[in-house]
Amino acid sequence: MTGYESRPRPVPARRMMLSGAAGAVAVLVGLLTWHGANADASHTTSAPIVALGFDAQNHVLLKATAETLYRSADDGLHWTRVALPPGAHGRISAMATTARQAGLVYVSGPGLGVLRSGNDGRSWEDRNAGLPARSVETVAVHADQADTVYAYVAGRGIFRSRQGGLNWRLMDRGPRENILQLIHSNMPGSMQTGWLFAATASGVRRSMDCFCGWRNAGGLEGKMNAVTYDPRQPEQIYAATGKEILLSSNGGEQWTRLNAPGPALTALLVSPDGVLYAAGGGAVYRKRDHAGTWERLDG
Amino acid sequence: MVKASHAAAVGLLALASWADAGATPAPSRSFDQITAGRAIYRQNCASCHGIRGEGAPNWERPDARGEMPPPPHNASGHTWKHGDGMLYRLVHDGWRDPFNKTSRLTMPSFGTQLTPIEIRSVIAYIKTMWTSEQSAFQRTESRREPFPPEAR
Repeated sequence: MTGYESRPRPVPARRMMLSGAAGAVAVLVGLLTWHGANADASHTTSAPIVALGFDAQNHVLLKATAETLYRSADDGLHWTRVALPPGAHGRISAMATTARQAGLVYVSGPGLGVLRSGNDGRSWEDRNAGLPARSVETVAVHADQADTVYAYVAGRGIFRSRQGGLNWRLMDRGPRENILQLIHSNMPGSMQTGWLFAATASGVRRSMDCFCGWRNAGGLEGKMNAVTYDPRQPEQIYAATGKEILLSSNGGEQWTRLNAPGPALTALLVSPDGVLYAAGGGAVYRKRDHAGTWERLDG
Repeated sequence: MVKASHAAAVGLLALASWADAGATPAPSRSFDQITAGRAIYRQNCASCHGIRGEGAPNWERPDARGEMPPPPHNASGHTWKHGDGMLYRLVHDGWRDPFNKTSRLTMPSFGTQLTPIEIRSVIAYIKTMWTSEQSAFQRTESRREPFPPEAR
């Protein structure tokens, strides 16, 4: 286990979905801010966002590209770069946060393995003891137990830790399809404490968290880039495929199409107060309710 | 009937289980418990889960009625992934898979047919169907989820 301390650095500002001259001004302001604040700001304007997170107790929104993690304490108005340990090699492919513990963030990715921060990214610790490799594709936190974490290692299966990643145990090989993102939800009806949903290369898969068998959730086909659920209504599951957002109101049995912000989507998140966030084309979007319109948070 | 060598192995497993749980070993009670559990299993469980705990065919997919078939209890299934407390609750209360297309319980309740000790006995018998690694895992789970007081 290694520890690392870092200081956040500010980067550019929010850009709303504006049109015409107002939009142009907003872009210009954003570019000026970007140049003045941080040479790494290009990551926020072009690099695909691979994961979103939300620290509900501190109301901090997080986003990650393959190379960089950012935090925003004002719902996307300003973003601050969060440094990972200098010895961490690899790319970020997933992030997990929980409403049960303030400041708790996990990031994972091929080469990185699993990194844990208990203070919104000011310091990090390796949490890879017991994992067979650092090729961790995705990480998830139990909806109600902050110390229970799941990590999917490509070709090996799903590992579980009940001690915040201090040790891991292989639980299951996972579904036949490669997992791109894994989440835990406290949807009722499980034999144990909840459910795991996996966005895979071919649809969404679902298992009780006793690992009692993976099932196809709703017969979706095609690559699912992201999956998330509404903590206020755990039966509501969202999945992103291409430019589409799909919603199931019955735990993944049937799906309907929602209006989407436009670009090909790479990450989804529902905050504990029910706000749906989506990432695509390097930007983060927000929708406060099903009938609402999408609002772009950053550029 | 269980062969002598099998019975001895079962006894050793039971002893290991008692030792791991920190309880006082009681070999005769364990052997009796497993023997009783086997009889209860054959009478109440085998028709669905198989005489050797092999489960129903194609148990991993919903059947024609949209219900999940009875899973195996042997090493090929997932029963060993549950702690004692959960296994007890599943037998005692039953359980309905929320995605079944029928409204009946997927696993029937045996709380009115079997006593707490009988439920514990049948679980002790099912434990003889697992590998040593699976048994070790299940003991770990059972530390978090032990049998309820009425079954101790």
